[in-house]
Parts: sequence; structure tokens; C-alpha cells
Amino acid sequence: MMLKKLALAGAVSLMGTGAYAACAFENTVEIKSLSAGFEAWKAVTDAMSECGNVQAELDQEFRTKQPAAFEANPSLYHIGGVSNGTVTPLLNAGTIRPLDDLVAKYGGHLQPNQLIKIDGKIMAVAMMVNTQHLMYREDILSDLGIATPTTWDEVYAAAAKIKEAGVAEVPLGATMKSGWNLAQEMVNMLPGHGGKFFNDDNTPAVNSDEGMAALATLKAALEFTDPEVLVSDSTYVQQQFQQGKIAMANLWASRAGAMNDEAESQVVGKVKMAAAPMAVAGGAPATTLWWDGIVIAKNITDEEADAAFRVAMEGLDEEMVKANNDAAIWLVKGYVPGPLAEGAIATATANPPAPAYPSTTRMGLMHTALGNELPAFLTGDRDAAATLVAIEEAYITAAKEAGVLE
Amino acid sequence: MSSVSRALRQPFGLRFASGAFLAFWCLLAAFPIVWIAVMSIKSPRDAFASSPWDVIVGPATLARGEGLSILDIVLGLVVLYFAIRWAFTRLPGLVMQYSPPSLIVLGWLVGAAVYALVFLLVFFGLLPLILGALNSVLGPLGEPVLGLTTQHYVAVWGENEFYRNFLNSLFVTAGVVTVSLTVGTLAGYGLARSGSDLAFWLLIAALVFRALPHSVLVAGYLPWFINSAEILRPIFGDLSPTLYGQPWAVIAVMVSINQPFTIWMLRSFFQNIPSELDEAARVDGCSHFQAFRRVIMPVMWPGVITTGLFAFLLAYNDFLVTSLLLDAQNQTMVPAIAGYFNRETTTTDQVEAVAAAVSITAPLFLLVMVFQRQIVSGLTAGAVKG
Amino acid sequence: MKFKTFAAFVGPSVFMMILFIALPLISVFIQSFQITQPVMQNLEVETCTPGFLTQTCVTELKTVPVIGEDGKTVTTTEWTGLQSYRNVLQMDKVWEAVSAGRLGDILQIDFWKALRFTLMFTLVTLPLVIGVGLLIALTVNNAAKALRGPVIFVSLLPFIITPVIGSLSIYWLFVGDGILTAMMESWSGTNISMFAQAWTIELLMYFYRVWHVAPFAFVIFYAGLQTVNMDTLESAIIDGANRWERLRHVIIPHLMPLIVFIALIHLMDCYRVFDEIIGFRSQAHVISLQWLTVDFLTPDDAGNRAISRAAASAMLTMIGIVFLLIWPLRRTWKDHKGGAH
Repeated sequence: MMLKKLALAGAVSLMGTGAYAACAFENTVEIKSLSAGFEAWKAVTDAMSECGNVQAELDQEFRTKQPAAFEANPSLYHIGGVSNGTVTPLLNAGTIRPLDDLVAKYGGHLQPNQLIKIDGKIMAVAMMVNTQHLMYREDILSDLGIATPTTWDEVYAAAAKIKEAGVAEVPLGATMKSGWNLAQEMVNMLPGHGGKFFNDDNTPAVNSDEGMAALATLKAALEFTDPEVLVSDSTYVQQQFQQGKIAMANLWASRAGAMNDEAESQVVGKVKMAAAPMAVAGGAPATTLWWDGIVIAKNITDEEADAAFRVAMEGLDEEMVKANNDAAIWLVKGYVPGPLAEGAIATATANPPAPAYPSTTRMGLMHTALGNELPAFLTGDRDAAATLVAIEEAYITAAKEAGVLE
Repeated sequence: MSSVSRALRQPFGLRFASGAFLAFWCLLAAFPIVWIAVMSIKSPRDAFASSPWDVIVGPATLARGEGLSILDIVLGLVVLYFAIRWAFTRLPGLVMQYSPPSLIVLGWLVGAAVYALVFLLVFFGLLPLILGALNSVLGPLGEPVLGLTTQHYVAVWGENEFYRNFLNSLFVTAGVVTVSLTVGTLAGYGLARSGSDLAFWLLIAALVFRALPHSVLVAGYLPWFINSAEILRPIFGDLSPTLYGQPWAVIAVMVSINQPFTIWMLRSFFQNIPSELDEAARVDGCSHFQAFRRVIMPVMWPGVITTGLFAFLLAYNDFLVTSLLLDAQNQTMVPAIAGYFNRETTTTDQVEAVAAAVSITAPLFLLVMVFQRQIVSGLTAGAVKG
Repeated sequence: MKFKTFAAFVGPSVFMMILFIALPLISVFIQSFQITQPVMQNLEVETCTPGFLTQTCVTELKTVPVIGEDGKTVTTTEWTGLQSYRNVLQMDKVWEAVSAGRLGDILQIDFWKALRFTLMFTLVTLPLVIGVGLLIALTVNNAAKALRGPVIFVSLLPFIITPVIGSLSIYWLFVGDGILTAMMESWSGTNISMFAQAWTIELLMYFYRVWHVAPFAFVIFYAGLQTVNMDTLESAIIDGANRWERLRHVIIPHLMPLIVFIALIHLMDCYRVFDEIIGFRSQAHVISLQWLTVDFLTPDDAGNRAISRAAASAMLTMIGIVFLLIWPLRRTWKDHKGGAH
């Protein structure tokens, strides 16, 4: 139903626009942008560059550079590409400006869904969403008569059947590279089990029954994953998927397109997407929703901000989306969700829906603590209870140093 | 005398073992590099195939009709063999002949660049043309048997404008080598000729500095570099620059980080130049600087070239400093390659990164080929006496 | 040489080293005794983020920094003495483990885990690099003259290749069903995963480092071999010394200064081991001291970085280096006293 509506909306907007126009206006102000470097950003910054005088930097070190560069006066960049994680330091330092007046002036075509509001003020304009969800080899599952798994228990049951049948080298792929990726798995799993990371006073709350349950679910995966799972990042899982080695994985939606890339993939057309599995039946999908979008620096003149926002709007227009429809799950008007987007949409529209990634100062500290302490649990060096204690200790040390805890 | 030479002659077993070890080592040294070179000319599916045979032959690449015939391979290898042989045998002679002795280093660089250019033209311009014609005539011999595609190189150098990174690298590297050697030669000479304890403690301090983890230093620079315009405004007014993103600021950082090693190498080298030489000049009424310029400079090149090569390697291969302190406009090659490996990357990106990696290794090859003798002779002349 | 002339010669070099190394070092030293943190406040914040088609808004209590009138975050700096060192070393846990007799538990603390690997990495690869380097130098010196040029060229390749790329090329040969792993699997008939357990990763890291640095040792030893005094060698032969004795009593002593030089450089470089951890993705199993420092410094998504602990860990790394360098430095001191003037 939802899909139909969306497709209809897309078709209507398709008819609405006329011929392709590179940029609606001639930009004369020098504009610089700094963002991450993946495919969607390439598409957006290319579209922005058509307006002239735009210097787009797609930098893998942007996380380190962005907070400092926006704090300089004048700011070194006008436009910043952020996600709901990386916008936090900019919000905290107050180095990005509210966009309400600019949106009113130039953002008529934006969907209300795109406007990221903090305390009622528009602070960023989102362009796409991303989430981890279930990808599976439709051929393998239907051969074995397995229904699409909806919970992690069902995923493991399916993996056991696949392993028994011996039809895939790796029944279950997982992005558990130690550090950020592994921590993200726990960030999915703990709320999925109904647990929480913090008490109201910022003290940690992971050492709980839900924490134990989440760890148990994580560890259960190891029986079916590649033995080298602690070095597998999403690119590696994607590659194994493409080579036909993996039968199922909880993988990022932005990776879906690669499965049907003729030049790389040996499983074109065989991979289907479904909502992220739930940790407990009837709960929310055990995953988090992410968005990517743009912000405008505060420490620049109003003229520059004006030009920067106009340029950014050119980058986020329908033409760009139509030319790059499958590069991301766009929020921009004109997007036609294909079959590859089914899983992500199912995840986002589930009831209860998957939560957004809770990006806060304390969550950043917790994410690091998880990433550093979880590997010892998965290698078997430490048991679950000791791991939860170690996570809390690591978090408390970091939180005291950051001033979050007294 | 004859007894001595007989004693020096080795039994067959030892000679065989020595040769076998050397062959094994050469295989070990070259294999990973040759392997990534092979990966870089295959389609992504072949490059990461699990059977080595698939990687070498490249069925998926062949299926797209891109490949080499037997004739291509044979002719290509023959041309390659002669090109390399010529580089080792005739090139040095030509350079010696045509460049003035005082500018021998420059002569070598020009020689190497010209050689690289001619090689590229012949191997990638002329050869494919001739072979294309031959292959169509020859029938079965001209059928492609070995998958090969240059698409990744085209993508890297064409679409991704990798030549800009190449030029940036060239600028940064040239800057680091020049400044590093200028500053380092003076300091090395001063340290070698001063027997004072101060000189010794300076050296020790430099050594401890060298031991510092670079990441700590570099992460410390970032806020200063980004805010330098604001910080320096009271002193330089509106002319104060933002150091972040400036190649010359990065050059200064890398020269400093490399200074300890440079002055250690050069100090030991100068110690091996008899101090009688400059003392004689001093007796003739030269100041220290004049003695350095007239007497030491003409004989110091072997050591300086060797040290310069190490500075070159450091600057050319650097990732930490350049990735953090340069913006995209001035990005050098290594961080640009690392950029292909970020969180959202595809297999095609990875093979393109491999192609870029192989491309940046080529100038290193050339440099070592050209300066190989100088490295050994420079080191022999005593640049490394502890 | 007069002091003034000396100062003129070394001045530029010393100035650059002070500006870019010594001053940052001092600031790191000071930071290791301080904690700078933003002043935090608790605010009720409503955040609206996109779902699909509709937005979800949550109101929650967030701890955010206070922003001052100049538009920058308000920070406080406190002297905390050795607190950061305590946080890094975690001595209380160490004593706990010692008194409970579970010494293995010490290696679960990041710093000690990193120290164990760093020391072992340094000390295992040192003799290997010197040994392999010497062996290559001797065999190259033994090879036919015509072959030497190409052989030296090939031997130098692992040293000149960009480290990021070198380690990656070896990683690919072994990861998953990489061709070398596949080859070993077909020989042994078992399923091998090189990156699934700590010891195989460590082995690969040792291998990579020796592969990468041995050529440096080789070329220096090779240069040294060119200057071996033939007279001494010949008289040794006349005295009836066999090959091994000649190597041991003539050649090695001749190369001794070079061995010290390489040991010095190698100790310093190895103690800073970092590239291998990233290249081989070994964080889950083994980490090094510099990796630990970098990890403290790397900002998370929310922009936090543990600068004080990073400074403390950097200072501890430095102290370790100075200990390791004492032996080779004493030799240099003796040379200095006896040598040039």
C-alpha cells in the first residue's frame, strides 16, 4: 500500500518536471563543502557543483576535521555533510545555524520529513535514510522451504538449516569488525531486547538482564558466521555476499545496490531485502535509523549562508534524485523506491518502528566503550557478566573525563 | 696468493644454498607487489576470486572480450625485458655523458623522467597499435587468452583526476627533500665538526624526538593549523594565513619530523670526510661557511643523495600527516588511495584503489632503478656509522 | 668550532625541531596532568528525525555543553596530578590480579595488553630483521656480478613500497579464502582462518614487519660488506680460520656499528608500531601502544576525544622508548667521547 502510494507520488512528480536543467541560478559566491565520500554524496556534490564556484571535499577524515573547521572564524567550510551521529559535535558547539528563514525562502520543494528540528528550530536538511536490515538469498531460502525470518531466533534457526544443508559457505554474515561496527551491533540489540544504555543521571545501565540477553543473541551468531567475523566490515560482508558465499546478513541498506551490480556480483537478482529481525517477538526491529543531510556553518556571512543554502538545495533537487535513484534511499521528492528499498522501508514503517540512532555525547562515549570491550567477550577471553562490568567501567572513566559524569 | 683464492672459493653446496636462498627471497619480496599488479588489471569479480588461477587468467574479464593474446604476451615481455636492461646498462652512461658533472642529480632526474615518458609512450601507445593490427591478421594466435582490462587505470587517472594528486605529491615530496637536505646538511656538518657535549645532547634529543609517536604530534597540530588565521592576526594582520590545507605547511611539518634521521645520517657521513680537508681550507683563510661550500660540498653528494632518498620515501609514502593536514584540493596520493577504502566502499572502488596503488609504486621503481648504485655507494662512503 | 658558527649551522634545524616537535611534546606533557572538559548542563531537548514519510519526535533530557557569550563552548581545566596515568595503567586491577594469582587477567587491561604486544613485536622482529638482512647481504655479495643489480632492485621493493599498500597487499593474500590461505588449506586439508585467532594474526604481523624492514638492513649491511678489509680476511685464512670463524671474528665485528645503527632505528620504529594494527585489523586480538594512543585521540561520532589519557599514554610510550634506547645510546656516547672533535 505504502509502496504504491510512493510510486504514484514519484510518477506524478516525474510528469511535473520539464527538461533537464543543470542549475537554476548562477552562483557567484565562493562556497566550500565538507562531507563523507560515499556514492550519495558524490551525486549531491556533483549536482551542487553545476551552479559554479562550489568546491566540494569528500574526505574520509571529515569526522576529525569537521568540528574544528566549523569552529574556526570564519568557518573553513560553508556546507557540511553530516549524519545523525556526526551532527552532534556541531550542535553541541553551536557552530551551525538555524535554517528556518532559509528554508522559508528557498526550500519550498522540501518535504516536511526532511527538516531536522531541534527544539522546533530547523538545524539540518536530511536527504536520505540508512538502516541495517535483513538481506537474504531468496533462492536458498525458498529451496529449503524457509519462510523469511522476522526475529533473530528465526534467523538462527534458518542459519542452522542452511548449515545442515551445506548450501552456503557462510550461512550468516555479520559486520562485527571490532570497534565501531561491533559496537553498532550491540546498539541494535540492547534496545531490541528492551534494555537501555543509561539511567537518567548519565550512569550506565547496560549491566542488566537485557544486557545479558543481548550479549547472548550476539554470541549465538558466531556459530554460523565466518571465523574471521571480528575483521569483517560491511565492505567485506558485501563482497562475500556478491561472491555467493553468504546466505543472510543484517547489512546496511546503502549496500543493497551492490548486490545487483553486474560487474561485481555473481548473485544478481537473487538477493531480497526484508525488515531487520526483531530481538523479541512483537518488539521493534533490532536496528537503528540513520539519516544523512546538510548543515550550514554559523561563522560565515549571511550572504554566504544564503548562497550556500541555495547551492545545497540545487544538490538536493528532484533531478539529482532521478539521475541517481538507486544510489540511496532518498527522502527527496521524486524518489521511486525500487525492490532494493523494500527492507529499509519495512524497517522504518514497522510497528513499533525502529528507533533513530540516539546520538548524544554520552552515547558517543558508550559506543567507544562497547567497541573496545566487546571483542574480548566474542573471542571467549571474558564471560558475559565480566564484559558488562568492563563496559560500564570503561564508560565511567571516559564520562568522567568528558565531564558527563561527576 | 693462489691458496687464498682457493680458500675463498666456495664448495658447491654452499653456493647452491646461497643461490637458492636468494631466489626464495626475491620471490618473497616481489610476489605481493606483482600480485596486486595482476589484481589491478582484472574485473572486480576476478580480482577477488578465491582461486589464484582465476585471478591470473581472469575468466570474467575475458568474457567481456578484454584480454591479451599469446602474441601480445610474448612481444610485451620482450619489450619489457629490453626496456629494463637498457635502463640498467645504457641509461647511466647517457646521463653521465650529457649532464654537467655539477648538476648530476638533476641530470638523473631528467633522464629518469624522459625514460619514463618514452616507456609509457612505447608500451601503452605504440605497442597496442601494432599488436591490434597483428592480432587481427594472425587468427588463433591473436585470440585473447589472458584477461586484462585497463578500465581501472582509466577510471583512476581519468574520471578521478588522480594526476592532480600526483602533482600535489610531487610538489610536497620535492619540497620536503630540498628543504630537509638544505637544513639537514648544514646541521649535520656542524654536528660532525663540533666535538662539544652540546652537540651530543642535541643528537640525543633529536633521537628521542624521532621516537615520538607521530600521531600524537599531528593530532596536536590540527586545531592550531585550522585556527592559525585567528591566532596570528594580532601579529601579521589580515595577511595571516590558514595553515590547514597549505602544502608548504605540511612540508615544514614533515621536514621537522624527518630532521632527526637526516642529521644522524649526514653527521656520520661528514665524520667520515677527513677534517684535514676543511682545516686546510681554513688555514688558507676561509671561514667555516666558505670551507663548507668550497671543500665539503663537492664531495658530499653520495651521502646527500642517500639521505635524500630516505627523505623522499618518507614524504612520498606519508599518510598520517597529509591525510589530516591537507584539504581535498591539495590532497596527495596516499590519502587519496585510502579514501577509496572508507566505510561506504564497493569492490570496484577497491580494485581502483589497487590500480592507483600500483601507479604510485611505479615512480618508486624508477627512482630505485636510477639511484641504486648511489644508495650503495653513499652508504659505503659511511653515511651509516652508527 | 666556535659556538656562534656551530649555532649558525644547526640553527635552522634546531628551530624546526623545537617548533614542530619539542613544543608539542611539552604541551602533551602538560596535558597528561590536566583534564580539560566542557561545562555541561542538562537540557530537555525535542529532536525530530525522519522516519519514512513521517517524522518521529522525541523529547529527552540531554547533557550538552554550555556555550559562552563569545560563541565558544565554556571549558574548565583542572590539574589532576597522576589521575590520567592511573586511568591508563589501572594499577588497582593489576594488583588485584596479582594478589589473586591470575596473572593472565593483567593482559585484559588495554595498556598492558598493548605493552605486551609492542615489546614482543619489537624484540622478536629485531634479531629476525638483522639476521635476514645479513643473510641477504651475504648471499647477494656471493652472487654473480651481473645478477647483483636486478637482485638488489627486487630486494629493495618491500622497503620502498608505501606501507599502507604493502600491508594491505599481504592482508588480501591471507584474508578469508585469499589465495595463500586457500593454498595452505589444500595442502593441509583443513579449514584455515588466519584472522580468526590472535597468534596467527601476530605471526602475520611479524612476517610483514620483517619483510618490510629486512631490505633496509640488507642494503646497509651490503654497503658495509664492500668495505671489509681484505688484508684482515686473508690473514685470517692463512691462520686457518674456516668460513664460520671468518664471519664471526672478522666480518661481524666490522659490521658491528651498522648492527647498532639498525638496532637503534628498528627499536624506535617498532615501538611505534601502528600501521600493522590497522592494515591487519587486529584490534580485536592484539593492539599496540601507539594504536592505543590514537584510539584515545580519535573522536567518536559525538566528537569526544580522551585527550588526557592519550597524552598520558603517549608519555608512557616515550618512557618505554628511552629505556629501550639506553643500551645503543651508551655506545654512541663512548664513540662520541673517543671519536670526532
